[in-house]
Amino acid sequence: MDFNVAVKKSIKVFLKGDMPMKTSGLKEGGLLYTPDFFDQMEEEFLEEPTDSTKAKEEELVDEA
Amino acid sequence: MRLNAPIPGGNYTSDTRNYAWHRPPDMTDYDEAISYLIDKIDEPEQKELVFAMLGIDAHITTVVTTILMQAISKGKIGIDLAVLIAGPLARYIEIIAKDVGIKYEMGVENKDRVVITPTLLRASLGIIEQEDEVEPVPMEQPPSEAPVSGLMAMPEGEVVASEGEQTEMLGGVEEEEPEDELS
Repeated sequence: MDFNVAVKKSIKVFLKGDMPMKTSGLKEGGLLYTPDFFDQMEEEFLEEPTDSTKAKEEELVDEA
Repeated sequence: MRLNAPIPGGNYTSDTRNYAWHRPPDMTDYDEAISYLIDKIDEPEQKELVFAMLGIDAHITTVVTTILMQAISKGKIGIDLAVLIAGPLARYIEIIAKDVGIKYEMGVENKDRVVITPTLLRASLGIIEQEDEVEPVPMEQPPSEAPVSGLMAMPEGEVVASEGEQTEMLGGVEEEEPEDELS
């Protein structure tokens, strides 16, 4: 199998929510970077205002 | 017969220690490798490169493959671990692309796949319902036959130009009869 194809397949599997079970079994407490971890990260990233928004908000507060 | 094939056992005679991927990788832990690559992506230069690649409509899979190849070539991670951590990396790049508002495509969707519908299945099996039969569209009339002969061929019909035309074509002027000087 081509490396590119393997990478594509791996991404597809991860996006479906599957994880390398044997790998996670090797580590106590399981793996950190799971699909749930990234879902949470996405929520935090997208809810968190960007720097420019923060600056605008601060300006509005100062004006008030 | 392949004459330019590698010599069997030739690999034992060459010094392969120069290649980073021939030595044990620096990282073998799943989480450690992902942390390292996420930190690497967060570096300003690497981030610019990632966004630039996404900007030219490169798929996230391509970006991930590039990053993983870099890490493998530097001996940071092994090939097997690279394949394992491709998913998390792709997800991370997807998140940062969403955050910045860059249009991206994951590249795992199979767009060329033909969706199987009942109509398609019927058509492929040759089952045509009579009700659905549509009157055949009249074929367009074939274009008039092109002339068999070439442009330089002799035209049909009258082929001989009149005497006047011939003279004109030769650049001559019809000779006028000289007037009688005496008269």
